[in-house]
Amino acid sequence: MRRPIRECLIAMSFAVAAGGAAAAAGTQEPVINPPPQAGDWAALAKLPDWSGVWTPNMSDQDARIKTDPIPWKPAAAAQIARLIAAEEAGDPKGLFVNCLPESMPSWMLITHNALEFLFTPGRVTILGESDGNRLRRIYTDGRPHPADPDPSFHGHSIGHWEGQTLVVDTVGILPETYIAFSEAVGLPNNGDMHIVERIHLAGSDTLRDDLEITAPHVFTRTWKTSRILYRQRARKYDIVEGVCLQGSYSEGADAEGNAVFVPATQTEGGNILPAGK
Amino acid sequence: MMKLKFLKSVSVLGALLAIPAYAHHSFAMFDFNNTLTIKATVKEFRWTNPHVVLLVEGSAKPGTAPEVWSMELTSPGNLTRVGWSRRSFKPGDHIELEFNPLRDGKHGGAFRKATLLETGQVLSSNLRDAEKPGLK
Repeated sequence: MRRPIRECLIAMSFAVAAGGAAAAAGTQEPVINPPPQAGDWAALAKLPDWSGVWTPNMSDQDARIKTDPIPWKPAAAAQIARLIAAEEAGDPKGLFVNCLPESMPSWMLITHNALEFLFTPGRVTILGESDGNRLRRIYTDGRPHPADPDPSFHGHSIGHWEGQTLVVDTVGILPETYIAFSEAVGLPNNGDMHIVERIHLAGSDTLRDDLEITAPHVFTRTWKTSRILYRQRARKYDIVEGVCLQGSYSEGADAEGNAVFVPATQTEGGNILPAGK
Repeated sequence: MMKLKFLKSVSVLGALLAIPAYAHHSFAMFDFNNTLTIKATVKEFRWTNPHVVLLVEGSAKPGTAPEVWSMELTSPGNLTRVGWSRRSFKPGDHIELEFNPLRDGKHGGAFRKATLLETGQVLSSNLRDAEKPGLK
């Protein structure tokens, strides 16, 4: 019990100091996230049921390369053609071998891993698997985007419900994040990307994400595509922890006998090899 | 404080070795037109993201000396759902292993299937079989 009380006192003293400073400077009260009321929690029960774990339709992801062609600008298309040729020749450029997040929109486009949705008052949270950074916070409390959001891997997302459909608007995505249709073919969005998604049930256990991606530096027009996820309720589908960089290490011991991670032998393409090979 | 010092020394060690942190990758570097089947002994089973790794010792060609090979698979989460666990293999297990080797001749491969010779249990990892809802 001691620690929480101490932490509370520290937090309170900071709050008092901050409030005093704001008053002294004549500034407005900070915008707060108000405590949810009983009605806010009850309202969640009226939302569609997206519980369970959702697994992607990977074959459909692949098929849409042809059915929903990406409107690359000519210079981008030439780069993509080279990446496809390299992949087909068995020398793929690994877009994600550095273990940075797949990010938006590639997480939604190419993941082979499960994800889940959490509904809480004012927010929908998407949690992914296999990479500790797969996390999207979608604010549904009516707030606007910040005027000048700090660019991030998943951007700043605001959402609202239109009937049973969650409409998500995302901006503020880092220019370096890839628009990819495989782990070896894709290009950085190069900035100013805007993504609108309409996520809805397309059957009792099928979820569909209809995406409209505007990427003015690499696309000639807005690209529309969709992705399909299937609901799993068997408990073996529960999301498990996944840390991408863990695979770059094996379990070993230091000179004192402590359990430590030891760098694994890897190729430039990310393949793990036997030690010394 | 001890722990902090220790972590610092580990990170310094990592920097000195300058090991590139490569991992999450495409599987196009494997030759899917070439499937090898070998008898092998499990050396190590790494139950890690983004790719589970199975290290085995075996002869790629009859009559040649056994060598260590590294097999790569999908993630622990995905493998759990097709019946695997971190205890699916243990060092010393004798297996018959089917894999697609790296095109560049290095000692790595994409795992296809393994049979535990002592029990006859077969382990495979085809996720495309699981593209539907409500799987058991």
